[in-house]
Order: sequence, then structure tokens, then C-alpha cells
Amino acid sequence: MARFTIEIWGEMCPIPLIKAKNKLLSMECGDILVLETEHSCTSRGIVVWAKANRYLIEEEEVANGIWHLELTKTHD
Amino acid sequence: MGTNAFHSQQKWNLGFIVFLTLLLVLLAQISTNLTLIFVLGISLGFVLQKSRFCLVSALRDPILIGMTELTRAFLLLLGISILGFALVSWGASQRNIPLILNVFPLGVHTVVGGLLFGIGMVLAGGCSTGILMRIGEGFAMQGVAFFGLVVGAVLGERSLITWRNLFGEWSGIFLPDLLGWVPTLILEIAVLVTLWQLAKWWQKKQLGE
Repeated sequence: MARFTIEIWGEMCPIPLIKAKNKLLSMECGDILVLETEHSCTSRGIVVWAKANRYLIEEEEVANGIWHLELTKTHD
Repeated sequence: MGTNAFHSQQKWNLGFIVFLTLLLVLLAQISTNLTLIFVLGISLGFVLQKSRFCLVSALRDPILIGMTELTRAFLLLLGISILGFALVSWGASQRNIPLILNVFPLGVHTVVGGLLFGIGMVLAGGCSTGILMRIGEGFAMQGVAFFGLVVGAVLGERSLITWRNLFGEWSGIFLPDLLGWVPTLILEIAVLVTLWQLAKWWQKKQLGE
């Protein structure tokens, strides 16, 4: 149950998702990936993508226009 | 971080509502047409922002991450527009109102321009509406992209004749003139439904259901 973070602050739309995808490959089942973004489309996109891939995802808007995401890798 | 990280935007909302209302009242004195266009523009912007509709990701996501949700939304949009357009032209012909159609000639320059725009919009993270919407949301980078968009549009408009002469072109085809309205509608909807099924199949294949 390790927690990982990747730096996606200020990145444009497809890049955070690609980074998250690559990071997930090196993670074990049950590990959590923490992401924070100021880009609403990025947040929405990651949530939709995670749900389609059957990962657990929690989205919270922590301040005006800042989203905190926690993605749990539930399967390989 | 608690709720104190949030700043209330009520003042801004109120200010903009007052500003917009005054502007609409002012516009209504000058021209009804302008007012209607302005209201349509504001509503479109609102829907675009709230729905997170993104043409870039509709075209990019199937290849990049194998998701076709927005692609299918885009196909639906095309289907609704086709039906709406058919209704408008049917209504116009019933009342004998001539329609001005934007049927443009097609050439190699169309494809080249489309490719250039496509590369640009993926790099900028938004097509023209997407950029406008994100400027409204407060992204500074899209301001730069907007500058590029304006420069590109002006350059393209000025040099269009040159490209047309250089590459040559075929005159545009308006399908209803060739096939009639009903077969055209059936054909177009059939193509869209096929693409829809294809998109669904692609997502299933990519994500492994």
C-alpha cells in the first residue's frame, strides 16, 4: 500500500494522463497514485479514463480550480 | 486544506450578470439580430464550459488512450446538426426563402490545412472554441494559443488564393442536389451509426471488457 505522486502541475491535457499511465505500470496492485492538477479537463479526463479502466478513483476540488485525485490500482 | 481555501465568486458572478444584462439591453436598442446572436454565443459558451466538450480529445483519445466517449458525443452532434440543417432547409424551401450555402471547393490545400490545424490544436490543448472557453476559465497559455490562432487565420485568409491556384481544386459537392434529401439523410445517418458502432468496438478492444 505505497503512495506515489507525480508532478503534473501546469501540464496540458494529454500529458498528465500519459504520465499517470506510465507510472501505473511500475506500481503494485493496491498502491495509490496521488495527482494534483489545476486543469479541469485533465481532472475530468483522468476520472473518466480511470472508471473505464475499472480503477478506484476519488476526485476532490480542494480549492478554486484545484483538483486532488487519488487513484488506486485495483488490478494489473 | 479545508473549505477556507475556497474564495467566494459570488461578487464576480453578480458583477458579470449585471454587465451582461446591461449590454443585452443596450444591444436590443440597436439590433434584434445582434442581441439574438449574442445570447446564442453566451449560451454556447456556457454549455461548452459546463459539458467539457472538447473536439481535440474527441479526435485524439481513441488513438492515445483508446477512449471513444467524446468521439461518440461528437458523432451525435453531427447527427443532430444534419437533421437540424435538413429541417431548416426544408422550412426555407416551403417558404421560398433562398438559403446561402457554404459549399466550398476542395483541394490538396484543404487536407494540408486540416493537418496543420490538427497538429496545432493538440499542442495548444484546444481547438478554437476550446481555446476561447479556457481563456474564459483563466488559463494564460491559451491566450498565447489564441494569438497564434488569430495570426494563422489572417495569414491563411490572405494567402488562400495562392494555395488554390498552386494545388488546384475540385468544386464542392452538395449531396442533396445530387441524390435528393431523403437518400442523403439515410446515407449520412447510416455512416454515422456505422462510425458509432466502430467507436464502441474500438473502446472495447482497447480497454478489454
